[in-house]
Amino acid sequence: MRRNAVLAVARLEFAEVVRSRWILFCAIVHLVLATTFVTVGMHESTVIGFTGMGRALLSFAHVLVFLLPLLALTATGQVVNSAKDDGALELLFGNPLQRGEWIVAVTGVRLAILVVPLLVAMPVLAILGTVWFGEPMPWTWLWRCLGVSTALLACYVSVGMLISTVVRSTSRALIAMLLVWSASVALIDFGLIGAMLQLRLEPRFVFLLASLNPVQCARLALLSAAEPELSTLGPVGFWVSNAIGPGGLLAVGVAWPLLLAATLWSLAAARLRRGDLV
Amino acid sequence: MHVEMRGVGRSYGAVRALHGIDLALPAGSRTAWIGPNGSGKSTLTRALLGLIRHEGEIRFDGVTRAEDGVSIAARIAYVPQVAPRLAASVGELTRAVCALRRRPVDSVSACAAELGLEPRELASRPLRTLSAGMRQKVLASLALASGAELLVLDEPTASMDARSRRAFFRLVDGLPRSTTVVLCSHRLDEIRSLVDRIAVLAEGRLRFCGAAEQFLRQRSMSLIEVRALDGAEPLLRSLGFERNAMGWWSSVVPTTERAHTVRWLASCVGDQLVDLLAQDLEDLGERPIEHGAARCELDGCRSTEVAS
Repeated sequence: MRRNAVLAVARLEFAEVVRSRWILFCAIVHLVLATTFVTVGMHESTVIGFTGMGRALLSFAHVLVFLLPLLALTATGQVVNSAKDDGALELLFGNPLQRGEWIVAVTGVRLAILVVPLLVAMPVLAILGTVWFGEPMPWTWLWRCLGVSTALLACYVSVGMLISTVVRSTSRALIAMLLVWSASVALIDFGLIGAMLQLRLEPRFVFLLASLNPVQCARLALLSAAEPELSTLGPVGFWVSNAIGPGGLLAVGVAWPLLLAATLWSLAAARLRRGDLV
Repeated sequence: MHVEMRGVGRSYGAVRALHGIDLALPAGSRTAWIGPNGSGKSTLTRALLGLIRHEGEIRFDGVTRAEDGVSIAARIAYVPQVAPRLAASVGELTRAVCALRRRPVDSVSACAAELGLEPRELASRPLRTLSAGMRQKVLASLALASGAELLVLDEPTASMDARSRRAFFRLVDGLPRSTTVVLCSHRLDEIRSLVDRIAVLAEGRLRFCGAAEQFLRQRSMSLIEVRALDGAEPLLRSLGFERNAMGWWSSVVPTTERAHTVRWLASCVGDQLVDLLAQDLEDLGERPIEHGAARCELDGCRSTEVAS
């Protein structure tokens, strides 16, 4: 893989993303998330103490784990198929460019567009919030939050890239993205317990399904640090938390999405290498 | 660059798009691939560019893409028929392509200016905001400035105005004689100006490959349009002329018969003739025209006219 080729495509992709205002959209979403977290969290903590802060973190964690996958999927789920449709791949691969170089550059840029605003906005606003409200920031939780969010974004960026390489039509890719997101959100603790009771599923199978869901892993990794109770973690989370502890949950919450990201991205890259570009 | 295709085939599901094409493109040759829609031209072009999987093998100076794909790609440039509507600016695209090809950005400016573009003015404009013709000129400039040894052109001037087309033909003509050119086109002016060989594809098979001159002579068509008083209607109808909404009578004849037809119409229709236009058609006929057939038909009519 040639570094100059990756950089050339990355610069072009970055220009493409900036001009299509995707970066602005992501930055606004992250800014709203971070502002909400700081103002509501800080304000509640000054009014009703740590309980209020915990509640704010809980809501924030849920918003993050539900919103970030959707953001990542919409940023990547139509990258390859739309580039095939509009002839961008035909143009680029008429030049000395390897398929691996292209997918590395595009994935890197799309992931950076999603992650960097979050990594910048949250600490900056946390510092501003600390200065403004004069309350200590839960820095440990914030770093944990950034780590887990980055892993979750990487995972769904890879899911999106795989969808865009496998599904030829952009409209079908949109449906696939929504299905994946719906399944990820539905197959968390409470949804699965409901399904277990309704469909008389084997509890171990349900627990396994919940643990395999990267959204659930991220959710547990975040909540176990904020409010590690049965009512917030849910039965599966509480059981897993007791089994491996908050440290283990953090490790799983970061490692499992990253492992999935690497596997799915490799599949997407292999598919792109083998398939047609038009 | 010498290109050797052996048994190049491709299917899309149950549809066989290419049936084992064997074709050699000698270094410095300029070949047009022509054929009706669905004949396999685009599939063969994409196989040549390595954009699709295919059966058989394609060797570039004896080397396949599997052996040294990047080096081969660096020696090939491509102008697609439709330019993508990228959000990136012309300058950003130019920098990316030049970085991939390790060429200075300034090398593109001269070609762009020759084609009537203002590189400095366009540099900051997103490609998608340009007209189709300007986008095609940008891509043509990038390809012509690449110094490639194999230039693949897919209807490269389809959206260009007449002046830019002539400039493009001049630029291609100015390429080193060792540059191999492949043109995928129906446009007669492109074929006449850019190539000396023609390969005809039909239903995924290579039907003909040979010198362009004789091929074009057999297939070039001209449109004859006549405006005449009502008295000439029976004669024009009997000759196969059809009346359009504007009141003109038109017929398509082989280009070789054009002058004869015009002279004949002028003499036969006589004072019934109001106006007469003759122009070469842009597209080639799909089948060779039997020379002399149209002339016999006209002569036959004239005999009938005279007799009556």
